[in-house]
Amino acid sequence: MDQSLVLSTFMLLTLATLSTPIIFPLLSDSLKNTPAIITSTVKTSFLISLVPMTIFIHSGTESLVFFWEWKYIMNFKIPISLKMDFYSLTFFPIALFVSWSILQFATWYMASDPYITKFFTYLLLFLIAMLILIISNNLFLLFVGWEGVGIMSFLLISWWHGRAEANTAALQAVLYNRVGDVGLILCMAWLASTMNTWEIQQATSTAPTPTLPLLGLILAAAGKSAQFGLHPWLPAAMEGPTPVSALLHSSTMVVAGIFLLIRMHPLFNNNPTALTLCLCLGAISTLFAATCALTQNDIKKIIAFSTSSQLGLMMVTIGLNLPQLAFLHISTHAFFKAMLFLCSGSIIHSLNGEQDIRKMGGLQKMLPTTTSCLTIGSLALMGTPFLAGFYSKDQIIESLSTSYLNTWALLLTLLATSFTAVYTMRMILLVQTGFVRIPPLTPMNENNPAILSPITRLALGSITAGFLITSYILPSKTPTMTMPPYIKMTAIVVTLLGIALALELSKLTQTLIRPKRNPFSDFSMSLGYFNPLAHRFATANLLGGGQKIASHLVDFSWYKLMGPEGLASLQLMMAKAATTLHTGLIKAYLGSFALSILLILLSTYQT
Amino acid sequence: VPLSAMAAYLTHQQKVLRLYKKSLRHLESWCIQRDKYRYFACLLRDRFDKNKDVKDMVKATALLKAGEEEFWASQHPQPYIFPDSPGGTSYERYECYKHPEWCLDFWHPSEKAMYPDYFAKREQWKKLQRESWEREIKQLQDETPADGPRTEALPPARKEGHLPPMWWHHVTRPREQPM
Repeated sequence: MDQSLVLSTFMLLTLATLSTPIIFPLLSDSLKNTPAIITSTVKTSFLISLVPMTIFIHSGTESLVFFWEWKYIMNFKIPISLKMDFYSLTFFPIALFVSWSILQFATWYMASDPYITKFFTYLLLFLIAMLILIISNNLFLLFVGWEGVGIMSFLLISWWHGRAEANTAALQAVLYNRVGDVGLILCMAWLASTMNTWEIQQATSTAPTPTLPLLGLILAAAGKSAQFGLHPWLPAAMEGPTPVSALLHSSTMVVAGIFLLIRMHPLFNNNPTALTLCLCLGAISTLFAATCALTQNDIKKIIAFSTSSQLGLMMVTIGLNLPQLAFLHISTHAFFKAMLFLCSGSIIHSLNGEQDIRKMGGLQKMLPTTTSCLTIGSLALMGTPFLAGFYSKDQIIESLSTSYLNTWALLLTLLATSFTAVYTMRMILLVQTGFVRIPPLTPMNENNPAILSPITRLALGSITAGFLITSYILPSKTPTMTMPPYIKMTAIVVTLLGIALALELSKLTQTLIRPKRNPFSDFSMSLGYFNPLAHRFATANLLGGGQKIASHLVDFSWYKLMGPEGLASLQLMMAKAATTLHTGLIKAYLGSFALSILLILLSTYQT
Repeated sequence: VPLSAMAAYLTHQQKVLRLYKKSLRHLESWCIQRDKYRYFACLLRDRFDKNKDVKDMVKATALLKAGEEEFWASQHPQPYIFPDSPGGTSYERYECYKHPEWCLDFWHPSEKAMYPDYFAKREQWKKLQRESWEREIKQLQDETPADGPRTEALPPARKEGHLPPMWWHHVTRPREQPM
């Protein structure tokens, strides 16, 4: 049997199955959508997408499907082509598995919402846009998916549109993504003008690629994946409901920027400037986000900054010229990050909307499964040996330590890894252990299959995903096999140091010492002062400068000073000087008569 | 409803009590463990109690001003805010409370036709409210002591066939969450 045909058919069948809940209600009035239908549709799609992945693992078949071609102008054609290679074939089942679990969780979380079907439809539309982005081979189709996920992100963050902060956060997300889009369009324009195609297939070049389009791609990735400079939208996006945070802002949408860089990787191969830029940008992002996460008190914000930090780590991997390793980190990260968000959602709902970890404690006895899965996810995040995060994170740190690159980036990344351990331990200690700080008489019950099965399923994924993926997929670039033991143990030693620091600090907080503010904790708690500086400084200067140009330069100078008012003030000046002579004294007037007669006589005498 | 009348200015007692509550809440944001918080809260209460009997208003106002400045210097950058309070995570999440019930009278007949059962009964409820209003007010006037109400709790209906006072305001109160 023709394996690539089966492959392509099943992938297209996956996409078609996902679009049935959107299309069928439009065709007939009796086919109404329900959350349960949408959840089972995504489950079916996941099961269907396992077939192509198995075929790929078994025989390494890849496929390129080519649809209708848009003959835009004579010599520039935009084919709608889909590429089913390792990246899309592996990411489809992972994204669908995570989405299925999140949708099942959302049937419990959003049960009291009057517009729950609309919520599920939005999530489904987002998923379709994301999968189009993953599978597309043409930058045009990728852009369609890119914008699609941006729009759905906007609609979902502002789900509770009665809140002013939610609307602000949604606008922030859209604007920051837009700034990134400028970079993507720049790269598309360059590609169209030099290679006359938008096919990613044809974007290889042996000659060194000019840096400008690669800068555009890095800007696009920075906007979508919340690297430093364009990062404030990701913590603000926690205004959306927890399923939205779990699906969009941890597993799928924010990795779209990194995925773009992975797809366009052949262009980066020959340009060391761009690679170094990725490395440094990633290192700064991961350290900055980890620093900010140290003092946050909202559980969702801690996990959001953790996502931002891991995205910086993925960017570092791209900077090391290891796209497959970055993809491995994306896949393993999806599992444990989504699980962390779902556990936090379960805790939040049980505590009746409480999101502050200062008012949580001792939940281990009351929500055993949720807190166990929280611990498993946190351990996976910290890179505990042989859990999912270890396979990707440890390899990244090893490659970073053994390559001839920026030591400064290495130090930042190691510091960020230890900070990861610190804030994760802080979160676990304050949420689960210790005495209870929640209001008394809070009835909580997690014995609902809609909560327990997604969380346990994702826990299983977090434990086994790294092992399974690395056993079946061979790396395309040989990793460094031998290195001194102190380099091999760097990541784990740094993590253990972080854990020890966190335990010491927590013991310190229990002694009777007044907590004091210091510049470091202020920097961390105000998110590096970035938000007010960037948001107010830039807009105030731009708008104020524009206003000054309009009113001072145009109105005031040109229309007034150069024109009537300038003339009038000149005249006034001269008239004022002249009025000093109008004293009213006869002698002065006689003097002026005499002076004028003298002047006339002199002038006539001259001629 | 017996309202606590708000004057245009705060009394010294109100200002001191507001400072005390503010500082306790920020102390709670700083000291996460409850036993540590209780220790420092007792110390804070003792500081306030030491100056409880100062009769000289100039000294008292100076102490209050010093207290406010100390609060400003040592406040928490991310104080704990209850989820439903202004600035909290659930505040204004649903828009149910923002519209009073008399807006329903201003709907267009085509919009009212979408909910025929409700609007058919609404007129009867409004008539009932108009009829029982006098009886409710009379009951409240009879039952309130001469020098003002002691509590904000409303009495139940005393006689057969009467409705409890202010029942309409309770039934049409703003919802926290949608149906």
